[in-house]
Amino acid sequence: MTASIATNQTILVVGGGIAGMTAALEAAECGKQVILVEKSPTLGGRTSMLYRYFPKMCFPTCGLEINLRRLRGNPNVRVMTMTEVSAVTGSRGDYNVTLKVQPRYINESCTACGDCGKAVTAEVPNVANYGLDKVKAAYLPHGMAYPQRYVIDPSIVGTPEGEAAKAACKFGAVDLGMQEETLELKVGSVVWATGWRPYDANKIQPYGYDRFANVITSLEFERLCDPQGPTGGKILRPGDGKEAKNIAFIQCAGSRDENHLRHCSRICCMATLKHTQYVREANAEAKSTVYYIDIRVIDRLEDFYQNVQKDPNVSFVKSKVARVALNEANDNPILHGVDTEGYHRYATEHDLVVLAVGMEPEVVGVKLPEDIVLDSSNFIEGSKSGGMFGAGSAASPLDVNRAVQSATAAAMRSIQVIHKTASTEAA
Amino acid sequence: MNAPANKFAAYICSGCGLGDVLKIAGLEKVAKTEGKMAVIKTHPFLCNAEGVKMIQDDIANDGVTHLCIAACSRRAKAEAFTFPTVAVARANLREGVTWIVAEGADHDEVRQEMAEDYVRMGCAEVKKLILPGGNKKESSSKKILVVGGGMSGMTAAQAAADAGYEVVLVEKTGALGGFANQMWKRMPFNAPHADAQPTGATELAAQVSANPKIKVYLNSTVAETAGAPGRFAIKIAQESGSISEELCGAIVQASGFSTYDITKLPELGGGQPNVVDQAGLEALAKAANGGPIKRADGKEVKSVVFVQCAGQRDDSGTHLPYCSGHCCGTSIKQATYFKDQNPDIDTAIIFDDLRVPGMGEDFYRSAQTKGVTFTKGKTSKVTGGESCSVTFKDLILDEENTIPADLVVLATGQVPNAGVELDDWTATVAAADNGDEAAKEKKTALQKISVLNMNYRQGPDIPQLKYGFADSHFICFPYETRRTGIYAAGPMRRPMDMHQATEDAVGATMKAIQAAENAALGRAAHPRAWDLSFPTARLEGCTQCKRCTVECPFGAIDEDERRFPLFNEERCRRCGTCMGACPVRVISFENYSCDTVGMQVKAVNVPDEDEEKPRILILACENDAYPALDMAGMQRLTYSAFVRVIPVRCLGSVNTIWITDALGAGYDGVMMMGCQKGENYQCHFVKGSEMAYYRLSKIGDTLKGMGLEPERMQTYEIAITDGARVAGLINEYVAQLVEMGPSPMKGFG
Amino acid sequence: MTTANETAVAKYRNNFLKEVEATVEEGHWVKMCMQCGVCAGSCPFGPHWEHSPQKIFMMIRAGKREEVLKSDSMWMCTSCYNCMVRCPRELPITHIMHGLANYAYRLGLSPKGQPNQVIAKLFWESALKYGRVNELKFSLAMYFRDGFVQGVKNALAMQGVGLGLVKAGRLNPMEIISGHTCKDTSGIHKMIAKAREIEDRRRGLA
Repeated sequence: MTASIATNQTILVVGGGIAGMTAALEAAECGKQVILVEKSPTLGGRTSMLYRYFPKMCFPTCGLEINLRRLRGNPNVRVMTMTEVSAVTGSRGDYNVTLKVQPRYINESCTACGDCGKAVTAEVPNVANYGLDKVKAAYLPHGMAYPQRYVIDPSIVGTPEGEAAKAACKFGAVDLGMQEETLELKVGSVVWATGWRPYDANKIQPYGYDRFANVITSLEFERLCDPQGPTGGKILRPGDGKEAKNIAFIQCAGSRDENHLRHCSRICCMATLKHTQYVREANAEAKSTVYYIDIRVIDRLEDFYQNVQKDPNVSFVKSKVARVALNEANDNPILHGVDTEGYHRYATEHDLVVLAVGMEPEVVGVKLPEDIVLDSSNFIEGSKSGGMFGAGSAASPLDVNRAVQSATAAAMRSIQVIHKTASTEAA
Repeated sequence: MNAPANKFAAYICSGCGLGDVLKIAGLEKVAKTEGKMAVIKTHPFLCNAEGVKMIQDDIANDGVTHLCIAACSRRAKAEAFTFPTVAVARANLREGVTWIVAEGADHDEVRQEMAEDYVRMGCAEVKKLILPGGNKKESSSKKILVVGGGMSGMTAAQAAADAGYEVVLVEKTGALGGFANQMWKRMPFNAPHADAQPTGATELAAQVSANPKIKVYLNSTVAETAGAPGRFAIKIAQESGSISEELCGAIVQASGFSTYDITKLPELGGGQPNVVDQAGLEALAKAANGGPIKRADGKEVKSVVFVQCAGQRDDSGTHLPYCSGHCCGTSIKQATYFKDQNPDIDTAIIFDDLRVPGMGEDFYRSAQTKGVTFTKGKTSKVTGGESCSVTFKDLILDEENTIPADLVVLATGQVPNAGVELDDWTATVAAADNGDEAAKEKKTALQKISVLNMNYRQGPDIPQLKYGFADSHFICFPYETRRTGIYAAGPMRRPMDMHQATEDAVGATMKAIQAAENAALGRAAHPRAWDLSFPTARLEGCTQCKRCTVECPFGAIDEDERRFPLFNEERCRRCGTCMGACPVRVISFENYSCDTVGMQVKAVNVPDEDEEKPRILILACENDAYPALDMAGMQRLTYSAFVRVIPVRCLGSVNTIWITDALGAGYDGVMMMGCQKGENYQCHFVKGSEMAYYRLSKIGDTLKGMGLEPERMQTYEIAITDGARVAGLINEYVAQLVEMGPSPMKGFG
Repeated sequence: MTTANETAVAKYRNNFLKEVEATVEEGHWVKMCMQCGVCAGSCPFGPHWEHSPQKIFMMIRAGKREEVLKSDSMWMCTSCYNCMVRCPRELPITHIMHGLANYAYRLGLSPKGQPNQVIAKLFWESALKYGRVNELKFSLAMYFRDGFVQGVKNALAMQGVGLGLVKAGRLNPMEIISGHTCKDTSGIHKMIAKAREIEDRRRGLA
């Protein structure tokens, strides 16, 4: 066994969001060899779909730019996008990994000049905006996409549209004959930074996300507020395009609930407090109302809460909203429930409702090996043989700062595995 | 200095439509006649394998040492255009010219002029570039110093040892374990998050003590920290009075926290009998050892009330304004100490918001199952004594209530042990130097508080962010330190529970081993990771003004015995703030200097006033403003072709000579684009943007002396997302300058 | 002789939560409430109660024994189960409401004349006596609970419904005299008595 263990000093990082990029970079900048795989066409993950970060209200792309520059300048990291891990066998220090690479239909000759996008007329839902708008079927995932290469949506491959894209490319970058590929490789340690996904709001029936156009999720709200988003940063109701000026935020939409997610998703309170400031930024007159059970903003994030509490445009109601009804006359959602502080029943009309949906571990395209140990909400605690680690929001519902902290620690643990393997070889 | 063997080459790409809208022959001519490039080649697709091969062949076979690549933005195709053995400059003809200049023949002339200027600038820059060789240090230490032997410190030491690093662990008390030694149990870290767990501190302490890679100093403090990453010279003062010296590569500071002084809370019974803080309750539980928990007077506790947020989340300015994060979970845990021993004991927790994020919700449920009761309320008064009482407003029932208890536990907060606050230190030292006796005494007292006793001119400890915590300012980079090679971990970085503290310690150790590794290789630390350039000063020109030493955000520059600046290269983060600060321009990096930028400024062809083509210099922060300009290009927004953009490492690195030179040469205006400053600053070099604004506020007089309007120099805060905004700002400014008329300096340059 | 109420007070001192846990059906769930209030908002009868379930639970924890047991709120529950379906802590709120009502009644603290209580009492009296409910007697007893005059008024007001039921064969006017019973009423009586004995012993009321 020792011989085969000894051959492998590589760390595999699964997931190219902020946690995965961090784990990969921290290990690589320490001189280790890293393979970073990402299932989508670009690195960046969910944070690149946020407008601003709390509490500084700064832009996620600022940190992304730094991380991408680190990545471009570091020969120790090999980035593979559109790649999923389909199998992991072996044990600590000696894993055999099977990777499945989906065709991008664009090869490395792409210069991101955009000619293929111009040539194509077909449109597909824009993943970067949670499908709130559309992009051409030959597209650059977003402005900060890395690798900076276009993608051809599989739906136009084998159609005249696909041929049009191919014909438009002066550099021979469109390759419609690309096939799914399978790769095998050996690694010593694996960091699972496979991230999170929003809880399916359709499952929270009484809030009517599936029925009412003007009930949206907090993730969709991020896109509405972002100038790069589908409305150019204007908070327009999906129902009728009118500007929303009286917005309700429903906390624990799916979290802290035995019927949905048992855990507290940690980030949603701060995310909503941040959202109230988006509302203020968009319209100084607009009002936000936060319906909550507990406002969970720990440590120095408390500052932010105290400031929002002073904002006359923001009010707080301690209540888990019972249900959302519709005012048929104007499509306004009406929130029903009880303010538990002193027991006050309300039926309050708002023009937009934002559900602060919870975080659950991402499962699409994530096939965790048996060896992985999960907690009661399926977040990764570790692995039985100790050679694989969870990082970021795959390991716990975490905000960006703590996801990066977690990923940095995961990189350290991977290096320990590699080191132990190397010293076993030496011995 | 470039050796005579230098060979300069320009490679011009005509792909991505560049060849369609630009006259490539014109660019070639500029590169030859003005740029004086020895090799000039054009390729229809420079970034593809063939184009790259052409360049590689020229490097290998034709002795090319310096490249000017005139193609796309330096942010694009970086992998293709990486040639590690030669110096490379990039002229941005795509995002910077063809994508942003309005389409159509009307704009052909200005578009071509813009592109030609960028070629001139690229050629001018590359002539001044020196490929950084790096400065490897064979003797560099990779040993990790861990200060503090609590859970965070022990975890850090163990983590480093497990990765093969030697560790020195300094603990001021006589035993490892820290606060955990005072604890009965800890909160659960793993599923099912149901019951309190043994802390494991004793076992970890034994493991650390027995580890041959870890050298533990008990009853010891750090008497001095000198040097830099890779060569920190640490003096360790032992109880015996002897001083040991250790050479270390990097430092993890895990100096922990103190509990908020309960006697500052008299209204909550602080200081009265049978009113304890959470630490006090741990002591009682530890003494009980699993049996009935007794009060100090020996009486068995039959009822206990926990008061949350005691002296925390205080907006009156009296107590701690922040939330310590762990206390809700800790009170839950402590309530279960009672319930697990005897379910009949009444345990109530009075909280405002019950903050048990993540899996803490399971722990909350578990305590409820065990019969711990939770009341949302605000406590106004606690009375201690034989029979305690707690008066609070029940926020659910909307009424005042008073409940009796045998024991009251106040959930007070964590106060960081982060050492000396540097502003306080600086002021104290200044006063002491002026002979103030009280200040002298205070200075001595501060030195005792100091954890690291660094001999840096900026002060003895790492900077504190807010409320005394030595946190990073950055969301994306929790370990971004302002003292290279020194990383804070645990509750001195941020209030936190034990689970987070041990995770944090592992993360901080990651950064520490990385810093030690890279110091040995002469590589910079984050954010310009692996940059091999470092600043040098021509001391013969230095006036000893000390601006560089004062303004360096990372404390990298000391003064030598002759009072000249002494650069500690391993502490340097390569931002260039020193270069921007230097009034006599003696500081430079091999690949970034007053000349590499200054020559670009000079290379631009400034039209005469009768041409009615203003020229505007833009100095853009490479992390935010420059990408924003690229974004404008990618979105095919148009902005004026009269601007010439030079990316800078940081606005703090901008030397005012560039601005005065530009204006003196007849430029009509200068736009400085940096990142957001102020409390939520975004500058990763701490205060570069702030510094630039400050410096530029001082050059108004210079402009006046030149007979120029102050409006000819403008500063902007640009975020990376400001693609559209930045295009608009440029157009507005150009319009404003057109209105003002040409610079009076034109023709004198 | 002390009353059941006095016994309970003595036994549980001032700890009403423990009393509820021990004596009320599903009472051990009360402590699991996290005061989110979704039950209160989900209840279709919400506007008509004084105390919502979540508030009742808080009152139990706060030891408001008299107020809770004398409250008419739990008598208003129509068993729609909305609250139970929504409760994020899966409390069997409907059952707890009925359990509390039952306990209050047993202690003699429940609000006198509360209509739902009257109807429940009459329903069970009929059921326990005959092994089934005599609809006619049951209805008439309801109508006449506030005296003869009011009873006639009530009956007249409802006569249309009554006639409809008669026509549909759902109400037999002859039952005013005898009414049919189940086959073995004495067996039912014994069974109920035994069940009550077991239940009382379990709750410590016997």
